[in-house]
Amino acid sequence: MQARTILASSVLIAASAMTAQADTSNARIALSNNYAGNSWRQAMLESWNKETAQAVADGIVAEAPAFTTAENQATEQAAQIQNMILEGYDAIVINAASPTALNGAIREACDAGIVVVTFDGIATEPCAWRIEVDFHELGRMQLEFMAGQLPEGGNLLEIRGLAGTSVDDNIHAGILDGVAEYPQFTIVGSVHGDWAGDVSQREVAGILPSLPEIAGIVTQGGDGYGAAQAFAAAGRDMPLIFMGNRQDELLWWKEQDEAGGYVTQSASIAPGVATAGFWIAQQILDGAEPPKDLIVPMLVVTQDTLDEALANTPEGSVANTEYSQQDAIDVINAATGG
Amino acid sequence: MSISRKPWLWSFVAALVVFVITIAATAGASTGGVMQAALTFAAISIIVGTGQMFVITLGPGNIDLAVPATMTLAATLALKYMDGVAVLIVPGLLIALGIGVAIGVLNYALIKLLRIPPIIATLAMSFVIQSTAIATNRGLRIKPPQMLADFTTGSLLGLPNLAWVALLVTVAAWLLLNRTVYGRWVPAIGQSIAAARMAGVPVDGVRLATYVLCAVLAAIAGYLMASFSGGAALDMGKEYLLMSIAVVVIGGSSVAGGDSNVPGIWGASLFMYLVVTMLNTYGLQSGARQIFTGIIIITVILVASGRRRAS
Repeated sequence: MQARTILASSVLIAASAMTAQADTSNARIALSNNYAGNSWRQAMLESWNKETAQAVADGIVAEAPAFTTAENQATEQAAQIQNMILEGYDAIVINAASPTALNGAIREACDAGIVVVTFDGIATEPCAWRIEVDFHELGRMQLEFMAGQLPEGGNLLEIRGLAGTSVDDNIHAGILDGVAEYPQFTIVGSVHGDWAGDVSQREVAGILPSLPEIAGIVTQGGDGYGAAQAFAAAGRDMPLIFMGNRQDELLWWKEQDEAGGYVTQSASIAPGVATAGFWIAQQILDGAEPPKDLIVPMLVVTQDTLDEALANTPEGSVANTEYSQQDAIDVINAATGG
Repeated sequence: MSISRKPWLWSFVAALVVFVITIAATAGASTGGVMQAALTFAAISIIVGTGQMFVITLGPGNIDLAVPATMTLAATLALKYMDGVAVLIVPGLLIALGIGVAIGVLNYALIKLLRIPPIIATLAMSFVIQSTAIATNRGLRIKPPQMLADFTTGSLLGLPNLAWVALLVTVAAWLLLNRTVYGRWVPAIGQSIAAARMAGVPVDGVRLATYVLCAVLAAIAGYLMASFSGGAALDMGKEYLLMSIAVVVIGGSSVAGGDSNVPGIWGASLFMYLVVTMLNTYGLQSGARQIFTGIIIITVILVASGRRRAS
């Protein structure tokens, strides 16, 4: 009897979701964020607030508040998501503290008929959508670029991210594939810079005295400027450093270029990817049915776009872009082959 | 004097062994470079660790968990105030010091007035401090004045300037501990707070001064580190919580308090930096690196404390 009621009501929910086509003006979408303690996350929250405030003003959704947990802990974030379920949000957009530890809470949200979209820090629960940039390609493209600049190849120093994270593993795997593709390059040293300038500077300074001449540095973002400072302090020849869109990296690149010519490239995941999560959640509420795994483009800065990127990036922040509703529709169409 | 009376010796022995293994990778060619790097980066751990040592010496339960947040806030506010202007270097430093004093006083106010254990009080404070740092500058990295950046990355007589500052802090700390009344009171409180009180030691004043000292040293370290690395980052202090405690323990101070050791912090800080450098130089994978780091630290502590017990 009870099972039949649940079945009937879930059919009802499904039916009402169908008929909700093109009207999300009453929808409430929450951001569940696990960490705010670095410039990337701060830019992310700023993007979210900017883009959703406009969406609320335009009457596209009713509200879209952002919530950040005090400690970067999965248990705390799971409790936060459970509160959001009780508060009756229509969709929850999550930057997850752990790929697996939130799966239970996410399952509960899905069972309550809530659309769950994870991005950047994604969750593996099958009922949730996952928005990622192609981190493997971010690693591989660095070698492709280096091969174009340094056809004769040479020694590489690899600066990795936070050990044990999927992002670090994926970029690293991409770099290894890139080295296999362009065998004129050899990785002669590797340190973990944790995506932080000061950590990278410290680790590079330590390994540098024992390294042969370095032609290029492959990176993961946030580490390029620290590496450059370590090389400068040791009085070594400045290698080709692939940058990661931080303002201090871009500014240093421009200064080097003006001082005597310095050609490189920069790429990273834009903090505004949170707004892609917002719009994709809105589209799903609107009736779109994208596949669960979605790829958004990376933000690449080249020699030609350097001045523009630098002009648009606040001092000390990270190059950013917000994703629009149209961008989300394009991502969904690309994924569905439409 | 026997070796057992010098527990700090072991941290230096450990640092030396790791150093020799590291430079052996390049048959000694990297000697100068590794030494310079080690002294530069160990300096920050030394400054932070010295403050933590005073707090730990106050006895069981005394610890300052607000060290990372203090570094971040002092650096953030000082660099924001200076905004790259050279004449503001000294006022910027005074701001950092002022923040250190304020945080130290607040820490002890929580401990004393609200009777919260230090481990909870300083942890709670660190949330407040970190949130203040986030609110004031939203994680934007502001560059230090060029003159200050040059000073922090420069050298004098072949020794990095940061190491000179750390040496100054160490000498001052040693004098404070061994040549002043305050320096007698701190371990006295650590050995028995009741006995110290009966002996007429102004327990609250000494504890307050010690928490302030620790916060001020953390603030100085944050100011120097941000100037060195080209700006304050919100997570810049992250590693210095465990680091500040580790260098105290490896350096031969008693983690139960009452017995501190100033020179050992140098050996321990150099050792902690060189271990990572050694494992990087030999190209170990990150998992193996962390396991090795753990094993090496445990070994050093066991060897050092084993000698102490044997005495």
